[in-house]
Amino acid sequence: MKIPVRYIINKIFLFIVVLFGAITLNFVLPRLIPGNPAETIYQDVVKASGGAVNPVYLKQLEAEYGLSHAPLYVQYLTYLSDLFHGNLGVSITYYPVPVSTILAQALPWTLFLVITSISISFFIGNRMGRYGGINRNTWKDLTVDIFSMFMASFPAFVMAFIILDIFAVNGKLFPLGGAYSSSINAGFTIPFIISVIYHAFLPVLTIVLTSLGGWTLGMRNNIIPNLNSDFINYSENLGMKSYQIKSIAYRNAILPNLTGFSMSIGLSMSGVIIEESIFSYPGVGMYMITAIDNLDYPLMQGIFLMVIIAVLVGNFIVDLLYGFLDPRIRQESG
Amino acid sequence: MGSINHVSGLEKIVGIIRKTKSTLGILFQNGKSATGFIILVSISIFAIAGLFFAPYNPDAYMFRRSLPPNSVNILGTTGYGQDVFSQLFAGAAPTLFIGFSVGILGTLISVFVGVLSGFASKRVNDLINSIVNIFLVVPGVLLIMLFGTYFLGLKENLGYVPTILILIITGWAFGARTFRSVTLSVSKRDYILSSVLIGESKVSIIFRQIIKAIMPVIVSNFFFTAMYGVMGLTFVEYLGVGNLSQVNWGTMLYWAINDEAYLTGQWWWILPPSLMISALMFSFILLNFGLDEIANPSLRIYNKKNRKAKNVTDTQN
Repeated sequence: MKIPVRYIINKIFLFIVVLFGAITLNFVLPRLIPGNPAETIYQDVVKASGGAVNPVYLKQLEAEYGLSHAPLYVQYLTYLSDLFHGNLGVSITYYPVPVSTILAQALPWTLFLVITSISISFFIGNRMGRYGGINRNTWKDLTVDIFSMFMASFPAFVMAFIILDIFAVNGKLFPLGGAYSSSINAGFTIPFIISVIYHAFLPVLTIVLTSLGGWTLGMRNNIIPNLNSDFINYSENLGMKSYQIKSIAYRNAILPNLTGFSMSIGLSMSGVIIEESIFSYPGVGMYMITAIDNLDYPLMQGIFLMVIIAVLVGNFIVDLLYGFLDPRIRQESG
Repeated sequence: MGSINHVSGLEKIVGIIRKTKSTLGILFQNGKSATGFIILVSISIFAIAGLFFAPYNPDAYMFRRSLPPNSVNILGTTGYGQDVFSQLFAGAAPTLFIGFSVGILGTLISVFVGVLSGFASKRVNDLINSIVNIFLVVPGVLLIMLFGTYFLGLKENLGYVPTILILIITGWAFGARTFRSVTLSVSKRDYILSSVLIGESKVSIIFRQIIKAIMPVIVSNFFFTAMYGVMGLTFVEYLGVGNLSQVNWGTMLYWAINDEAYLTGQWWWILPPSLMISALMFSFILLNFGLDEIANPSLRIYNKKNRKAKNVTDTQN
């Protein structure tokens, strides 16, 4: 098998550029706002305590945020070198726990949710879209379409609350939160794995339901031009069996849908962040909401950065896979 | 000759009516876009009526709390004692306004960026492409949270401006990518090439030909971005980084969830805004898909009419 070298180099280049852009965005955003987060919090504290605050506190806060009055390029370089050393600052909410420690606990759970739910919804969605496309312009197609569109349009977090209410609060079939039962020791044992699946069921179900529509509709619209194309007509006339034709059209249609896969990592990440806070799942989403409520800028920025890196790496892997799967790209660099 | 060029006011109006009629005709060619259009028009009428005819003041805490639907409050009352129907009615217009603003402004930006990069030199194209990619890759919710908290940090009442800005910032990139690829494919067509060879300026080609050629995509993208605007509004409000003092369907959901309406079984409070948002987004999706089918013939070869025509030719052979 030929390795598409130029394609891979392009993708690596893009990866670095986007990563750099995101890191810079993360640096610029807090500095765009008049005043700074430290001042905002300081003012609040002053107001709350009636002015009895030592001004040194402001300096302390600024130091914690990594805010200084040095020229911008110096700040930027310090920021980059801190990042490079894995120093993301200290969380305010969970003072004095470093942001990196929180992330190390939370990120694996989020990744677990994202990967599981994307895989499931990719599989089911494509199958449903295939079903709709094959039965195009019949009531079956219409049912699939309307169902997908409705699922895509219903507010995701309301769906999460409804599911939580039905299955966990009233039904008591599933737990209200957490990633695994506290009575079980963490480790790769069968009861632990069962407990993890049991706790992840509702969040995954919600994300799958709300992200299914995109895949289904995408698949349907990819497979129909394929089924209408001349080579399928030709194969049909040659007497090829219907299931073979369907599988050929399906395979052709799944490739463009895979490009959507890299886009959907970001989208699913958005969904997961929201769902985690609703299902009290100890991933980055839950911490993100806490961070926002407490104006915990270091934690917010740390999460922002980690999530972007995760999404970028995911994209990168999908792009590489795509390079190997798509013969056009494989041959291009020959 | 001179008299032909003199079009009277009446004829102009007739011409405009004919044109809108034919545009509507295109919408009604396709079942999906027709349904979407009808739903959207109904919601718009509901929204406009809501500006004037809300039965009670949507903000006033004038009723007993958490009443189920009854003869006075058709949809019951909120956990704070407001009339749910009045909120739903009066909140429709702001919700639609945000959706449409995000749709229009976001589409304008993405058309500008997309067409520009489709026509620019390779280096500029690469630069634009990576910026678009940054916005595509970064999860929108994170940007909403970050920008939202910073706008909150400003501590100024800017109305819906921050919300709309945030949604445009997070929502323009997808369209830009679409327009870039569409422009690239259109600009390779022969008639564009001949215009270039004749010596027509780039600006004139873009405005006279490219924009015209990609118009269906622009309209379809408008509905997609507007849908994002409505969905994004619910997220902005849900995360509490929007303008919570205003009544719209997003804030209704925020307060309902904040008061744990789902736990106390106050479905009349949480479901109406959800279903209205759902209906609005549904209409946008239908319009987006219907227009795609109209613009992309390969998606619609197999409708009933064509199949009949095909059978006729088959039997003739």
